[in-house]
Amino acid sequence: MLAAGERLRPYAALLAVIAAMLGWWLVEQADASRAASSVGVTQVASLDTGRSLYLQGCAACHGPSGEGSAYGPSLVGVGAAAADFQLRTGRMPLSAPGAPAVRQSPAYSEEQIEAIDAFVASLGPGPAIPNVVASNGDLARGRQLYLANCAACHGATGAGGTVGGGFVAPPLDRADSRTVGEATIVGPGPMPAFAFDQQQLDDLAAYVELLHHPPHPGGLPVAEVGPVAEGFLAGAVGIVTLLAVARWIGRGAR
Amino acid sequence: MCTAVADERASGAPGRAIDGGPVQEPRRPTELERIAIWFDRRTGFGRYAGTVLRKVFPDHWTFLLGEVALFCFVILLATGVFMTFFYTPDSRPTTYHGPYAPLDGTQVSAAFGSVMRLSFEVRAGLLMRQIHHWTALVFLGSIAVHLARVFFTGAFRRPRDINWVVGVGLLLLALAEGFTGYSLPDDLLSGTGLRIAYSAAISIPFIGPWLASLIFGGEFPTLDLISRLFVFHVMLFPGLLIAGIGTHLLFVFVQSHTQYKGGTRREDNVVGQPFWPGQVFRSVGLLFMTAAVISLIAGLIQINPIWLYGPFIPYAVSSPAQPDWYVGWLEGALRLGLPIEPTILGVTIPAPFIPGVVIPTILITGLLLWPFIEARLTHDRAEHHLLDWPWESPVRVATGAAAISLFLVFTLAGGNDVIGVFLNVPVESLTMVFRVLLVVLAVGTWVAIYWLASARRRRGEVERAVETAPGGIALRRTPDGGFQEVEGSPGGQPTQGGPPA
Amino acid sequence: MSEEPPRRNPGLLGRPAALVPARSDAGIPENPAAERLAGLAFVAALLAGIGLLVVYVLGGQTQIEAVLLTACLGGIGFGIIVWAQALLPNAPVTEVRHPLGSEESAADPGDALAAPAITRRTMLVRLMLGAFAGLAAALAVPVFSLGPAPGRELFVTPWRKGLRLVDETNIPVLGAQIPVGGLLTVFPEGYPGSADGQTLLINVGPGRLQLAPDRASWAPNGFVAYSKVCTHAGCPVGLYRATLESLICPCHQSTFDVLRGAVPTGGPAVRPLPQLPITLQPDGTFAALGDFPEPVGPSFWNVHSGG
Repeated sequence: MLAAGERLRPYAALLAVIAAMLGWWLVEQADASRAASSVGVTQVASLDTGRSLYLQGCAACHGPSGEGSAYGPSLVGVGAAAADFQLRTGRMPLSAPGAPAVRQSPAYSEEQIEAIDAFVASLGPGPAIPNVVASNGDLARGRQLYLANCAACHGATGAGGTVGGGFVAPPLDRADSRTVGEATIVGPGPMPAFAFDQQQLDDLAAYVELLHHPPHPGGLPVAEVGPVAEGFLAGAVGIVTLLAVARWIGRGAR
Repeated sequence: MCTAVADERASGAPGRAIDGGPVQEPRRPTELERIAIWFDRRTGFGRYAGTVLRKVFPDHWTFLLGEVALFCFVILLATGVFMTFFYTPDSRPTTYHGPYAPLDGTQVSAAFGSVMRLSFEVRAGLLMRQIHHWTALVFLGSIAVHLARVFFTGAFRRPRDINWVVGVGLLLLALAEGFTGYSLPDDLLSGTGLRIAYSAAISIPFIGPWLASLIFGGEFPTLDLISRLFVFHVMLFPGLLIAGIGTHLLFVFVQSHTQYKGGTRREDNVVGQPFWPGQVFRSVGLLFMTAAVISLIAGLIQINPIWLYGPFIPYAVSSPAQPDWYVGWLEGALRLGLPIEPTILGVTIPAPFIPGVVIPTILITGLLLWPFIEARLTHDRAEHHLLDWPWESPVRVATGAAAISLFLVFTLAGGNDVIGVFLNVPVESLTMVFRVLLVVLAVGTWVAIYWLASARRRRGEVERAVETAPGGIALRRTPDGGFQEVEGSPGGQPTQGGPPA
Repeated sequence: MSEEPPRRNPGLLGRPAALVPARSDAGIPENPAAERLAGLAFVAALLAGIGLLVVYVLGGQTQIEAVLLTACLGGIGFGIIVWAQALLPNAPVTEVRHPLGSEESAADPGDALAAPAITRRTMLVRLMLGAFAGLAAALAVPVFSLGPAPGRELFVTPWRKGLRLVDETNIPVLGAQIPVGGLLTVFPEGYPGSADGQTLLINVGPGRLQLAPDRASWAPNGFVAYSKVCTHAGCPVGLYRATLESLICPCHQSTFDVLRGAVPTGGPAVRPLPQLPITLQPDGTFAALGDFPEPVGPSFWNVHSGG
């Protein structure tokens, strides 16, 4: 009446699903415990090294003295903060003129980036690299600043999203305190600039750091992209499993 | 218990089997039997129990889908009652102090604060909340699957057209329950949803502003809103749902369940398992399995992390902004809506009116009246207790499939921002594609499914004709009205499939 | 599956209660393996239930609670279903389907349902229905207590001439707070957080705006203020793409051109975001020159009537 294989099949599948969920959850837990490190700020750099690196990697689009061209905007007055943000997040240099500026591993070493920063800063007065320290920030104030100014594009969970026209507000899961501060005062690409003071930048960085591994006491944080993922799971896991259960219960029927 | 057994011993006349079986030695009744006897002595229910408990229900697995919805409702009631003990239906501001540091000292509504407390400070509170929310998603899903089964098998035909109407009413109530419940935590995401609902309400010509003011208690956002939603969600809609579900089940009982064709099943009988014990065991088993599956999902997968969304602030917004899946089609309709807002004789037809009010009204009315529309189309007003296979009514299956395609495209459009990022496509292009797809897919689905179902039905008619014909020869109507001889192979299969040249 | 005649085993409650025949095992399947399996499932459910209690007493952990709850519920469900499939008589039972509808009504529907004493007094019946309609109308009036008459509230916001632009904590906003390419959500002074007064103050830099001539003075030094309430469905228009000076609503992706008076350039919105006339004051703060010239937020049937 109850053949062993027939009896076990739905349960094997269910067990596999449970195991996968538990595994995913454990990985998430381990991941969350890993501490994020931040890089200190050094302002010592050689202007000459910077100029030669600039001429090799940037001048083709931004012009030999940063005056800009048909392929790239002027860098006069953008300041070290803008250069540092673009280089450190690997958005610049572009692989080809007109290619989308997306986050990559940086093309230059720490020293090289500092040198280019110093050269770009020498082109004209602009915002310096802010010294943002997340541990000085207040989470509650940071949360309010984030929800009021950033969540509209980057999402309440920091998962990022579209801002229309093919532009994307990137996820903030790898944004460290330094680049958060730079992006906020510079407004790179389509992003608007914000005149936040030192305390506000620290507060904001503290909250963005929390969003790297937001607390998820409820289990796997699939809802970071909101109800779309939840609805999909309710159908793909919930309804499908219950259909299988119904099929199993009704299997004796003819 | 002791007295009951004494009663039984004093007056019982043991030793005779009433069903004509062999008379056997008397024995002590088992414990369960003694309980039944005790109960019967005081109520006499044994007289009625027989007819009710022996009622036969067909036991195909697709007939369990509605039960899944019923059991979801049971889970929703149980977890919902638990949550009302902790929820404060109040929009007034309070200061949150609790274990979730990023919100500590922040001004939130009393409602939001109470859901934070339920989630972080009440033991098993988060589990209850997540079971409730996940169950709501599965509830609507199981209703949808049940509705599809009823639709595609033609189970809604007379005499069950009346129960179809009750069922569609239940679907609407479930949608209303879901939307009001989604809004109760008073978080940023749900507040945005209410704002859109308010805008859809004021878009109705002439009465819109009045209607919205009466429902919301003034201009959005109002202080009364949360307490009103609470009364809707925990009293008005659940009360109507319980009454509706009772009516729905009563009709199933009175009319007896439908069954699929085949075997000994005919229009004038019901073949299956008796209500007791076969159906009760299966249903109770399904109840527990439904609860088990949902609690597993609910405990392992986080849903609606309101601590990340934060309290509703009218001037803040998060992106992507979506409602729960069952309202996604309305959101999608608004996103696909054309930027047209004509003013005729001083009356402006706001852009959200057509996609947000008119189209949903048409679709829901069509769904509600489908049994009567179909009866008018087919002139078939007879009683039906045997179910159709989907292809046996090409118009029905094609219409249902086209409706599903509409629903799918609307729902996908409701998530166009997420899909756009996922596929790396500008969201505007996606919206244009969906606008075209909406029409093309609906029409294309209708034609394709109609054609496929018609072909399958012709094949079915040939098979039936061959099976019933003596010697494997049968007459069959040709499309032009003549008759044609169809030869059957020894196995009962037709040797030629399509119509002759 | 044995071929039992229908109704061989009517079950526990199917017989007159006082008569308990000796156990007749016919029709009850023997399946020790299934019995053991169901029993094991019930034991597992019991243990999981106790475990759940222990976890709960120890302080609770959502995921462990869920797994134990699932094991408990699933054990009960599994056991019962195994019982149903392997330990209950499963031969199909056939029942006659009785025709629906009452015989009397088929003979004379009028007599069966309503006595002639009622049905023949058509005039009185109609008058009674009319009386009920009157009652319904009277009872409908309290519905209007549910909310105020719409009045002019959809046409106006708290903005008045001379009110300064403040942030959400009611502190006046200075031009220096917004760099070129930046924006800030502002409110009328005294109404911080106002839902219909919420406004975006955007600095696009001087000389770039292409506003209607009569609005040229409404945007000092490249600072322009638009209602933040989307004219489509009322969501806050929170997304700003600084490079293209466009505002995007995250709800339905309506897009507005900031340089050209916030006219919609994409999505389902039709009306531009209303522009707030503002002026730069000597102390560096901004003040409104009046309310928005048009109603803010989504349209309604008489939106163009001016209230």
